[in-house]
Amino acid sequence: MATKGCKELVSEVIDTRLCALCGACTGNCPYLAYYKGRITLLDNCSRADEAQCYEYCPRTYTDMNAISQKIFSTPYGENEIGTVKDVLMVRATDTIVREKAQYGGAVTALLSLALAEGLINGVVLTKTSDDKAPAPFLAQSVDDVLQCAGSSYMACPVLRRYNQIAKGDNSKLGIVAMPCQVLSVAKMKAEPRQNRVSIGNVKLVIGLFCTWALSPDKFYQFLKENLDLAKVKKFDIPPPPANRFDVFTASGKTSFPLEQIRKFTMPTCAYCLDMTSEFADVSVGSVEGTEEWNTVIVRTDDGADLMERAKKKGKLQIDKLPSSNLEHLKEAALLKKKRALNEIVKRSGDKNNLLYLGLSPQLTKKLLA
Amino acid sequence: MANIEIDAPGTSQLFIGNEAIARGALEAGIGFAAAYPGTPSSEILGSLAQVAKKIGIYAEWSINEMVAMEAAAGASFAGIRALAAMKQNGINVVSDFLANLVMSGTGKGGLVLVSCDDPSAISSSNEQDTRPAAKWLDIPLVEPGDFQEAKDMTKWLFDLAEELGTICILRSVTRIAHARGNVKLGELPTKQHRAYFEQIHDLKNVMPTTFMPIPSSLRHFFLHMKLEKACEKFESSPFNRYVGPDKPDLLIITSGSCWLYSQDAIEALKLRDRVGILKLGTLWPLPERFVTEHLNKSDKVLFVEEIDPFIERSVMELAGNFPPNAARPIFYGKRSGHINAYGELNPDMVIKAISTILGLTYQPRDIQYSKKAEAVAKSSVPERSMTFCAGCPHRATFWAIKNALKLDGRDGFVTGDIGCYSMALGPAGFFQVRTMHCMGAGAGVANGLGKLGQFGFNQPVIAVVGDSTFYHATIPALINGIYNQSKFILVILDNSATAMTGFQPHPGTGMTAMGEPTKVVSMEALCRSLGAHVEVCDPFDLKGTTNTLLNMMAEDGGAKVAIMRRSCELVRAKKEKLPYKVHIDVDKCIGEACGCDRLCTRIFLCPGLVWDKKTGKSRIDEVICSGCGVCADVCLQGAIIREAA
Repeated sequence: MATKGCKELVSEVIDTRLCALCGACTGNCPYLAYYKGRITLLDNCSRADEAQCYEYCPRTYTDMNAISQKIFSTPYGENEIGTVKDVLMVRATDTIVREKAQYGGAVTALLSLALAEGLINGVVLTKTSDDKAPAPFLAQSVDDVLQCAGSSYMACPVLRRYNQIAKGDNSKLGIVAMPCQVLSVAKMKAEPRQNRVSIGNVKLVIGLFCTWALSPDKFYQFLKENLDLAKVKKFDIPPPPANRFDVFTASGKTSFPLEQIRKFTMPTCAYCLDMTSEFADVSVGSVEGTEEWNTVIVRTDDGADLMERAKKKGKLQIDKLPSSNLEHLKEAALLKKKRALNEIVKRSGDKNNLLYLGLSPQLTKKLLA
Repeated sequence: MANIEIDAPGTSQLFIGNEAIARGALEAGIGFAAAYPGTPSSEILGSLAQVAKKIGIYAEWSINEMVAMEAAAGASFAGIRALAAMKQNGINVVSDFLANLVMSGTGKGGLVLVSCDDPSAISSSNEQDTRPAAKWLDIPLVEPGDFQEAKDMTKWLFDLAEELGTICILRSVTRIAHARGNVKLGELPTKQHRAYFEQIHDLKNVMPTTFMPIPSSLRHFFLHMKLEKACEKFESSPFNRYVGPDKPDLLIITSGSCWLYSQDAIEALKLRDRVGILKLGTLWPLPERFVTEHLNKSDKVLFVEEIDPFIERSVMELAGNFPPNAARPIFYGKRSGHINAYGELNPDMVIKAISTILGLTYQPRDIQYSKKAEAVAKSSVPERSMTFCAGCPHRATFWAIKNALKLDGRDGFVTGDIGCYSMALGPAGFFQVRTMHCMGAGAGVANGLGKLGQFGFNQPVIAVVGDSTFYHATIPALINGIYNQSKFILVILDNSATAMTGFQPHPGTGMTAMGEPTKVVSMEALCRSLGAHVEVCDPFDLKGTTNTLLNMMAEDGGAKVAIMRRSCELVRAKKEKLPYKVHIDVDKCIGEACGCDRLCTRIFLCPGLVWDKKTGKSRIDEVICSGCGVCADVCLQGAIIREAA
């Protein structure tokens, strides 16, 4: 149980730029607010026990093993891409979905299905508005979900919207989130609290693959200065060795060298071990070398059930992910873990001080080797 | 307010000091009165304005003290007796004009300035003393010691001012201005006023009929002649008198309300046969012969006066001129530490000083008494800090300012000004105000801060002024900020009243002091005409106001203006019914739990919201709640419910 509150959240996470802007500390707290890429403490809250802002932050102490045990009943860290039931290669059968989607349209197809089947009544995700600023959004229909397709690559406090849902609301919820946000949701699931919308209502967590996210303030400013954002159709970072950030408009494509973009990366991403949203029900990313397809990692029974329904209803075209791709994925995931842990130790200056991370000594040793 | 124009000579009326002064001015036959409101002076013009139309005089609330004084001088130049009234701070505003007016001299109409000092700064930013200003400005100054004198002296001072041809000051203090006492009335003049600015040179006179300070050396010489003449009058003034034994063990020299404290002290100590009081009414220039005569009565002299050691120093200066072998009494007062050199005095303090000097032991009351009194007070008086009224738009404005500054994240801050909103220095305004000096200073200080960009300064600066303060002293600072491109936001708290001093009208209200409708000087039209980016916000729209401020802070360019428009709650409540009925949904109120930590009663602090310790929920105090409904937007849990009343 946390014995710290918002002051420590500010001093340990926000002021140290470890904040991932997941939004978990905002939305139902009058003291912490999100504005232009920053979490701000508006007034001092005197609570220092059971302060959910501190407890559910993905950058305060997190016992990875305990969470893994609670969610999957397995220890953490045996697999580079987390607990896995199945790894698939999928794409939406609906061409309209595919057209709108970042890659294969798997997320959109799965959410549409879950909504249609009544598995969920709404889903909290990121919506990119007409001016291309990402904002948290509660989608309650298939149309809503379609409007949210595509990625902006910018961090977005999705969990703020989740927190804003009224306490007594018993709708079944889905959440589409980045690994850091999925970790926060996992912390909520591991230690549920009375005094907020019940985490038990969250029936589906779709995690996204993520190598890093861009600052929604500085990067957005950069885009605004260089582009007519209203005309932008889609952003894309093609797989290596492209090293580009592409922006598609009706009239064509503008590319920025990735180096120019990297300086807008959220500083906290350097300390993140999770590429594949390891605590989600299903995790979705791209497939190296194959555009218009998604990699899907099925992790839980709920996730498997949803995939099964998608298959039955013909919403997804499903294949096994080729083993070479799986190997590459694992390699990349491991590389992120190793890099992040080294960064953490570099920052703390002590192999026994992993900042927010609670890892077993064996795993720490293995990753630092 | 009392009826100051009652035509019943010889009868007694209960007046506060300010009404007594106003009555004195009426008995002196003034035709013109102008003032800027300021506690404790405001009721002087307030009571004159109330009767002005009926008795055929003119009274106005001027835009500031400077204009009030200049306008009154204008009336004097055209032969009309005129009065200007202000609080002590006003003296600073008018001093430039006064320093030249004493040289030019006044017109055929006597001109009197009433300045009300506020010892202990009970309703002020400071406790400045008017008396030294009179000395450096070469202006005769008198001070009444009670309510009767307040009236009588005012009347007499107009005669004196007219005879001398120079402005005279009547100084008063809070305990004279606002205390109440019997005043025996005199006759009201029946003479009709006729104003005419004489332009023909009077050939018998050395100087032509022009009012200007030059040739200054010659004018200065004439001014000193006037002061000598004043001094000669003061030597035999009935407002100066000695009461006490022929050879007292201790001589108290005092004036004003301190005279009353001194009398109480002597009574309490039963020292009427040992201590004498020399009460002075004419303080500057000092009637030296009169004072010297009494100085010889005792070898111990105690000065009892508030704020500065003005009489003390004047008398010491006088004693310094005594012949080498002359006897000099021992002087006690502020210099010796027997009297506080700051703050208000009271009879206890005087008793203590007398007891120390005369080696007496005096216990004013049972030692336990004050402890008991305090306990009784605490048990029956709810503990409240100084705060804005329930429903005050300022609380909402400062809530928005606080959140906007925090969200902006560049450590921005507020430069404050003079008004109810000065309380934003404390919890009422969430400790937002960082500087507070004089009328208009907030915007002036912001001008400097807003030009520090070249030194790496990036903190947003918000200068906050009230509507009356805006018209009074802020417009030049705003123009400067626009012209010199100083980066700050001027937030005008437009509550459509000079609220702190009693809702006097100002150029934005459309009403004159005498109750006549007049043209509104639109602050937004004025600011826009100056080229400022102007936004008008409703402070009760917390979200909208916060966003407007955030956007303005993010903008480049010079001074900008955000007008927060909402009527003062005390003004609104007189005209309209409650807008909302507010109550707490106890099921939704989470009290001290995570997600609230009783934001409304711990941070927002509207006195209409009460923390109920027993239930662990907030409660609306229906007697205090004004139904503004703003707290419903502050509560994130949706536990504060507002319904149309």
